[in-house]
Amino acid sequence: MKRTKLLFAFAACLFFVVIRTHAEPSPLNDPYFRRALTVTGTVLDAVSREPLSGASVQVKGSTRGTNTDKDGKFTLQVDNDNATLEVSFTNYIAQEIAVKGQSSLTIELSRAATNMNEVVVVGYGTQKKGDVTSAVASVKSESFVKGAVRDAAQLIQGKVAGLSVSTSSGDPTANTQIQLRGITTMKASTQPLVLIDGIPGSLNSVAPEDIEAIDVLKDGSAAAIYGTRGTNGVILITTRRVHGDARSTLDYNGYISVQTIARKLDFLDAADYRKYIGEGIAFTDYGTSTDWLDEITRTPVSHTHNLTWQGGTRTTNFTASLNYRNWQGIFLKSDNKQLTGRVDVNHSMFDGKLKFNMNIVSRTQTYWAGGNSTSFNNYIYRQALIRNPTDSVRNYQGNWMERAVQEYDNPVAYIQETNGENVQKEVRTNGNVTFTPIRDLHLKLLVSNVSRTTQRGFAQTKQHMSTTKNGLNGFAAIANSAFKDNLVEFTTEYTKNLGDHRLTILAGGSYQNVKSSNSSMENWDFPNDFYSYNRMESGNALGRGEARMTSFATSYTLIGFFGRINYVWNDKYMAMASVRQEASSKFGENHKWGTFPAISLGWRMNRESFLENVDVISDLKLRAGYGVTGIAPDDSYLSQTSLNYGNRVLINGVWIQSLAPVRNPNPDLRWERKEEFNVGLDFGLFNNRLSGTIDAYRRLTKDMLWDYQVPVPPFLFNSITANVGSIRNTGVEVLLNYNVVQGKQAQWTTSANFSTNTNVLVSLSNEQFKTTNDYFDAGATGAPIQQTTHRVKIGGPIGDFYGYKSVDIDAQGKWIIEGADGKPKPIQQATQNDKKILGNGLPKFYAGWNNSVSYKNWDLNVLVRGAFGYKILNFTRMFYENTKVVQYNMLKSAFDNVYGKTRLTNDLAYVSYYVEKGDYVKLDNITLGYTLPIKNKKIVRSARLYATGLNLLTITGYKGIDPEVNRSGLTPGNDEANKYPTTSSFTFGINLSL
Amino acid sequence: MKKPYQLFAILFIAASGMLFSSCKKQLEEEVYSEILDDNFTPGSGDVIALVSPVYSVMRPMMAGWQGYFDVQEESADCIITPARPRGWYDGGTYQRMHRHLWTSTEGQPVQLWNRCFNGINSANRVIDQITSGEIPVATGKEGLIAELRAARAFFYYILMDNHGNVPIVTDPSLADLPQQSTRAQVYEFVVKELNEILPQLSVKADKTTYGRFNKWAVKALLAKVYLNAGVYTGTTQWDKCIAECNDIIAEANTNGSFVLEPVYRDVFKTNNENSKELIFTVPYDEIFGTESVIHMKTLDASMQQVFQMQAQPWGGNCAVPQFINTYDADDSRMKDSWIQGPQYNPTTGALVINFVNTVTSIETSAANHGLRIGKYEIKQGMRGGASNDFPIFRYADVLMMKAESLLRTGKSDDAAVLVTQVRQRNFKSAPAKATVTGADLLKGSSYNYGYWDNGQITEPQGGADIQYGRFLDELGWEFAAEAHRRQDIIRFGVYTTKMWFQHRSSNQDKTIFPIPLVELNKNPNLKQNKGYN
Repeated sequence: MKRTKLLFAFAACLFFVVIRTHAEPSPLNDPYFRRALTVTGTVLDAVSREPLSGASVQVKGSTRGTNTDKDGKFTLQVDNDNATLEVSFTNYIAQEIAVKGQSSLTIELSRAATNMNEVVVVGYGTQKKGDVTSAVASVKSESFVKGAVRDAAQLIQGKVAGLSVSTSSGDPTANTQIQLRGITTMKASTQPLVLIDGIPGSLNSVAPEDIEAIDVLKDGSAAAIYGTRGTNGVILITTRRVHGDARSTLDYNGYISVQTIARKLDFLDAADYRKYIGEGIAFTDYGTSTDWLDEITRTPVSHTHNLTWQGGTRTTNFTASLNYRNWQGIFLKSDNKQLTGRVDVNHSMFDGKLKFNMNIVSRTQTYWAGGNSTSFNNYIYRQALIRNPTDSVRNYQGNWMERAVQEYDNPVAYIQETNGENVQKEVRTNGNVTFTPIRDLHLKLLVSNVSRTTQRGFAQTKQHMSTTKNGLNGFAAIANSAFKDNLVEFTTEYTKNLGDHRLTILAGGSYQNVKSSNSSMENWDFPNDFYSYNRMESGNALGRGEARMTSFATSYTLIGFFGRINYVWNDKYMAMASVRQEASSKFGENHKWGTFPAISLGWRMNRESFLENVDVISDLKLRAGYGVTGIAPDDSYLSQTSLNYGNRVLINGVWIQSLAPVRNPNPDLRWERKEEFNVGLDFGLFNNRLSGTIDAYRRLTKDMLWDYQVPVPPFLFNSITANVGSIRNTGVEVLLNYNVVQGKQAQWTTSANFSTNTNVLVSLSNEQFKTTNDYFDAGATGAPIQQTTHRVKIGGPIGDFYGYKSVDIDAQGKWIIEGADGKPKPIQQATQNDKKILGNGLPKFYAGWNNSVSYKNWDLNVLVRGAFGYKILNFTRMFYENTKVVQYNMLKSAFDNVYGKTRLTNDLAYVSYYVEKGDYVKLDNITLGYTLPIKNKKIVRSARLYATGLNLLTITGYKGIDPEVNRSGLTPGNDEANKYPTTSSFTFGINLSL
Repeated sequence: MKKPYQLFAILFIAASGMLFSSCKKQLEEEVYSEILDDNFTPGSGDVIALVSPVYSVMRPMMAGWQGYFDVQEESADCIITPARPRGWYDGGTYQRMHRHLWTSTEGQPVQLWNRCFNGINSANRVIDQITSGEIPVATGKEGLIAELRAARAFFYYILMDNHGNVPIVTDPSLADLPQQSTRAQVYEFVVKELNEILPQLSVKADKTTYGRFNKWAVKALLAKVYLNAGVYTGTTQWDKCIAECNDIIAEANTNGSFVLEPVYRDVFKTNNENSKELIFTVPYDEIFGTESVIHMKTLDASMQQVFQMQAQPWGGNCAVPQFINTYDADDSRMKDSWIQGPQYNPTTGALVINFVNTVTSIETSAANHGLRIGKYEIKQGMRGGASNDFPIFRYADVLMMKAESLLRTGKSDDAAVLVTQVRQRNFKSAPAKATVTGADLLKGSSYNYGYWDNGQITEPQGGADIQYGRFLDELGWEFAAEAHRRQDIIRFGVYTTKMWFQHRSSNQDKTIFPIPLVELNKNPNLKQNKGYN
């Protein structure tokens, strides 16, 4: 607390100092004011000579400035004839123009070949890219992945070195899985902090079409200003908004897409069954032929529409957008409909001294709930895979064909007799007011509320197997959940330019309170199917006490104070220092507060005299940074000693509830800390035609949160959440951009990125808890194999597969494995000691290659990306490439000879035979666009048609559906057998601007 | 122009100050769905709720998935879980249990350890809170503490029986890692505890003590501990066992608290809580206590139609064919305990499945192989959890414990009277067969021990050489599928010496399970049991 008060005092002093220095002269009192000159002018693109609307024109050394209007024109009063104007515009090279008494100017701005002047969003503000001293990647909308993009992360998939974005599920409601710079935490979430215009959210909080830019704060020195939430990196999403004086515009983006399954698993069909029955395999022939996958799939057609209006004046303007997406999945009924509306209003008063911004995003997502809480129930897919292909969809009476075989249920009936709907509504309301009492001092107050409610309904009719097999007599469930996130932030920023010195000081405080709650109810034994889940009281089971009702609520509070100083001297040397003090309610009384400092330095070497004359080098910047970030556990209350009523016990003829402890409390629970050191080099060669970035990092997580195994007694439960252990990640990231062709009619830019990461579990002990063995096992194959899949060993990497190494097969078709002594032995004699490390599930390298070509009105984008040096445990083969269980269907390859010798007859087992190389190269995204030539731009400003494909071609040796599998947590590389298959999508779209 | 700025500054500072001052309060956690111990003062109504966790843990422990039932039965000679057409390999765990090749990570014995210590922990914690007054108990404080100590001794009895050398912990405030005790020390502890608390326990045997430790449940437990004292300590305690049994028999005779149910099946029916044969049970309920899955594990999936069940059973374990062959044709316990032959759909009359008394091997079997456990009534419309309360001690058990002690102390004729008494209800078709003589009980076993290969006994051993083998058979028939068998065949020396089904003779070390590897890793004071690594 003391330290935070100190920080606060510092902020307050700063405020007063600034007030005192600046209270005196105001431009309005300037004696020269009356001799002012009015300058008008036009700002144009140097190449196309199109007017640039919204460019900033400032009188150097004063607060006066304006933005160009829709025709690129501006009018500005200057103090005297010798005034200088600073003209700047996003992605263009800024210019300083001496007025020299001219009253009319035409200013041509050139597009920045390099991005050193680009504005980059950093924590609580923006910076010129040239001033940035830490590892920050910025992707603008023109470089985004095109097509049927699921969420914000997919927009930058393969574009940011070190950011792994995987789309491991084809479910239309699924989001991408993202991971930045390896696995830094084992217990808490590995999701980066996502901020939408500064407000915490998720990757699907706004529609991808509504995003203008995405910035990724990769290293600790950049993320430390976000303290406790920054460990996994920060993704800053900037939505589209009006820059300066906008003409009234209306943009329409729409596309329609179809999907196909990325790869169909090759299971036996009815003819195969009959062939093998002839060979003596004990399959049952039910006499018909059914392609079960065909019965539950379709060619999904999805469409997306986005309308954006912008308009207003320099002082009051708005952006409004409406986004509707209606997506279908490859499985029947599987879908996702989303309507997102957004309004962003800016209002400026008192000559820009007071600025208001209000932003409201409302999103409604509706999808078929095929599972009781999930979008699609993967059990249905599994049933389609394993169902006997000679079985029929319906029996001779026309009813669904069901058989008394366990876990053998009609997948078509499962879909058709299930009703379900999930409706999620989210309203994000936020506003901020910026007060600029004097030049360069900005006081900003930001208030935000995010409210989300989810309503879920689910019902199975009396024709569903829950009744026809399990006798429930109709089943229904409903659930509701509510989430609220309130945020108040106050920041003070002061910028001072004194000659060659530029100084920016930021101080602020933040208060966040999050509460979530949910309730659910199920019931069965309904009089009929009529009510579905809309009249829960009509069921009888709840009244009999058989069905369940639940409710739950949890909350936490996060309070932070922070300060940052940026200093640039002569555009040559730059330094940044920041500190954040943060407290979370989740920790014990004496451990709530944490301090997270950061420092980084930059040196633009090309500005040094010894490089000034080297023409080849146009930009060269060396950066180094160190930052500490923290992470709190996902769950609240871990430090608390609590009791709950629960399990019932028969006492005196009544089933009373027992009252028992909830957990092992840990009052010493504290922040997990990640210390990161990053060095980087930004360079531009040949007039910035070739530019790039190289970063190297070392992240060390200390006090790592982990569910540590403890003995009972003295502890109440077998594990306690504690700060034990340490994990280290090191890696290198390289990004190269090259403008291959830069003509007036033809342009071709190519960009390649490459990243590598190595992680090591350094320790799993602290002063209180010491591990006696140096490993633990993780992951599960599930029944009937019932083995763990991974081993996490101290001194080793996360993600090691651990099991029996198969080397041969005996004449009876049983596995021969390699024993601990290296000699072959039958699997029946295998012991735990014979298990070995069978490879690692985390890619060693990631690479991406983007090409952007335009010729006259045509544009072409091609994205190729890949991951290399990792293994996948192919669950599909492990479960279905085996002839032993003949009650279920299997892969055709089950009848192939193993090791070229004989068919497998072993019980299902986890052996290295199923651990495959995962390396792949994907031709991920090709977009071909044509911009219509429009003569009269009065009505239609531009129109473009495009066709694009996603996940088009995968070159891999992997035998499963898609080598881009789950990479999260402690069990990366497990390609679950029945997961919603990934798809390839083909899209046709139009962009129209009015 | 100065004034607005200063006003703003004052406002800013005031606002920030308010924010700071409320910091500490804001950072306190607000709970909604749990009760903070600090804020909770138990009322008299909460006392029983605080005591009951020692009982609730027994439900998953006893008849739950891979619970005590499986540990006692699958390692013994009556029940196996062979691989089935659609699974039941589960990493080979059932085969290892059958062949005595379990490891220190084997799920079933590890679970048993966890649940016992969970119960012990609950007992220690609540005893401490009652003693300290944290839980206010107006009347019957001693009785409640005695009951909790009984439950704790019960968990230690199970640990002693299964894992042998375990740490004894009675003080919940000790933070140090516990020290290991020997099996003999655990025996001393259990016997001492049980004898100490006897005077404080309720003597009532009715609804108020049902499913809880009263004097008679503790006496039955003591009898059980004495019956196996030779196994635990090397010193037999037959007379002490007889003395405890006599006390219970006297209570039965004077107050009618306990009887032998006239109909054997009634002891195991769905609503068996009123049976006077039961001395201590773990109560289950299809709604409130749903952990009993014995029927789910044993029935084939198709049996869902036969019983019109609301859940599809899993179809795993069955009887060892050699054991089934030991039954007398007129012993009604055979059909009262096992499901055999054709099974029909009650509505359509269609044949569903026909259970046969053969099993190919532990690695392969057909869906209809092996007789299924039918002892616990499976009512029409059965759910995933059974309501039948699981008997831990019943009156027939007391009579048989006394009979065995008499038999082993040379009073075989007295023993035969008791055995006959227990048998009488089961030979309605041939009443004469109910009677056994002392000479009968001195015979060997009729169990055709030996290695089984697809219906053939390829390496015959027989059971004639087993001392009191005839009595062991009697225990098998009376207590089949009641999780008695492992303990009984250890006491009769069969467990490590005989072959049955595809189990080959193991060794003496296997009479206790290994200390779980995870526990050795957590507590360096623990040493692995002999013969395990």
